[in-house]
Amino acid sequence: MTNPVILELKDLTMQFGGVKALNQVNLSVKKGEILALIGPNGAGKTTVFNVVTGVYKPTNGEILFNGSSLKGKSRHRITKSGIARTFQNVRLFGDMTALENVLTATDVHNKSGLMGAMFTSPRSRREESASRKKAQEILEFIGIANRSDQLARNLPYGDQRRLEIARAMGTNPQLLLLDEPAAGFNPSEKKALGELIVKIRNSGYTVLLIEHDMSLVMDISDRVAVLDFGEKIADDLPKLVQDNPKVIEAYLGVPADAS
Amino acid sequence: MTFNLRDYGANIWARANKWQRYLMALVFIVAAFSLPLLENTFFNTPNTPFVSVLFYPIGLYTLMALGLNVVVGKSGLLDLGYVAFYAVGAYTAGLLGASLKLNTWEVMPIGIALAMLSGLILGAAVLRLKGDYLAIVTLGFGEIIRITALNSPAIGASMGITDIANPPTTFGFKFDLDNPESYYWTILIIIIITIMAIRILSIRRPGRAWEAIRQDEDVAELMGVNIYKYKLWAFVFGAAVGGAAGVLFASESMFISPNIFKLEVSIFILAFVVFGGMGNIWGVILGAVLLSYIPERIRFLSDARMLIFGLVLIIMMNLRPDGLLPRKKREKIKSDKKDSK
Repeated sequence: MTNPVILELKDLTMQFGGVKALNQVNLSVKKGEILALIGPNGAGKTTVFNVVTGVYKPTNGEILFNGSSLKGKSRHRITKSGIARTFQNVRLFGDMTALENVLTATDVHNKSGLMGAMFTSPRSRREESASRKKAQEILEFIGIANRSDQLARNLPYGDQRRLEIARAMGTNPQLLLLDEPAAGFNPSEKKALGELIVKIRNSGYTVLLIEHDMSLVMDISDRVAVLDFGEKIADDLPKLVQDNPKVIEAYLGVPADAS
Repeated sequence: MTFNLRDYGANIWARANKWQRYLMALVFIVAAFSLPLLENTFFNTPNTPFVSVLFYPIGLYTLMALGLNVVVGKSGLLDLGYVAFYAVGAYTAGLLGASLKLNTWEVMPIGIALAMLSGLILGAAVLRLKGDYLAIVTLGFGEIIRITALNSPAIGASMGITDIANPPTTFGFKFDLDNPESYYWTILIIIIITIMAIRILSIRRPGRAWEAIRQDEDVAELMGVNIYKYKLWAFVFGAAVGGAAGVLFASESMFISPNIFKLEVSIFILAFVVFGGMGNIWGVILGAVLLSYIPERIRFLSDARMLIFGLVLIIMMNLRPDGLLPRKKREKIKSDKKDSK
């Protein structure tokens, strides 16, 4: 693939006190691919998401999004520039309806503010109806349009996870960061989610995916990067990563006779 | 509890068509405007003129509770210094009325603007703080305003400002001691405007942003909400309402002093919001009306009055910890913990 690089991590280091959660990680995500980020628990996968979305300031290194540095950008600006994420443990706005959850995200590109809303300026009216239309389309795309008027906290678990993706898509991102979207799913739900992620990619998004389920990862990703103790130990095509001895070691440990 | 007043009311509203809604709103508004007719009935307040009670405390406190509700109830920012904005409005009316000879209606926009400005300044300084820290700093701000007024001879120090002019006769309505209903109707109009503004904002971008901030501000920010800006807006909106209340209060009572703007006022208004149901404007209105009316109604009990009042509060908060009419929640939540972190 010769697609342009959309996100590039350069020598990214994230240090918490004495712990290096990320150590000189280099990673590039190409436009239009599904890149899976895997690794044992505590390897630093979610830390990558947190650093990219501005939750943490990296100790060292640089993040380039579409060639420009994200350094010093506030979180909502990073989101506005085209990166959106979901959360490992569902963090929806529970007291809002599914539609309102997505609307909150679509608002990022709207320009009308408090005064416009209060006095129903033409722009506010136009943006509001465009947002509603778009949010409804996203819910349909994700397949939970029938839930749009229900409170997020009352949705079944699977739909809550899907709504998280819908909400992230509401910000109209180029790059979608999915943090264990299939956690807690049964095999058939996982399969359906895999198809959904492929569908999302095919409609023009780039996906960076954290996932523990290896069959899902191997099925849908174009490339797999492996983190272990904050260091990238592999970055390759799925089937090559599967056979990489370093990866096997990270997951299963060193064979007794080899040590 | 099987009967749920909030859902009952919400259902009637949801089933009604546009014209029925207009009709209901009209009936409510007419009923509210005719409340002064209840004078000399069972509802009359002993020892205080009923119609004046409708204006102060009921009307004024309801208005301020609505303003504070946007800050505390909708956006989840605990503000214990809300009285400061009330004071800014009142002092603006007192000072500009005397020096520039402006009448109440001319002072009103200036009072609101200055209150908004103080909201902006305070907000810009403290809104990076969260939760308890924010509460403490706003509490301090409220006290600073009062103590500054108390120690500034230029604005009357502890003597306050006297002889503030009543509003001029407007549309044939006289504003003086013999016509207390004019004040009540004025505050009612401001309350109705405030309710309409809050309702409009609630279903649009600012309302969603506030709601998102209240529920999980970290996620809100990651979903692209400029949380600092919308927190500031919430503060400024609340301040504007408080300022309007202050201007009207000063021109009715004709006298203000730092003593009026004590911490208790902030606490009282917060109590109305919590008692009525944080985040639900009808609950907040009900809470403010009841809690400011009851002490006046039982004034004949003199000293035991506040005891009874406190007892009512405690019993109510035990029976209905979410307030009289809690915010929209169609199911009892089982997994509150999970969402709040």
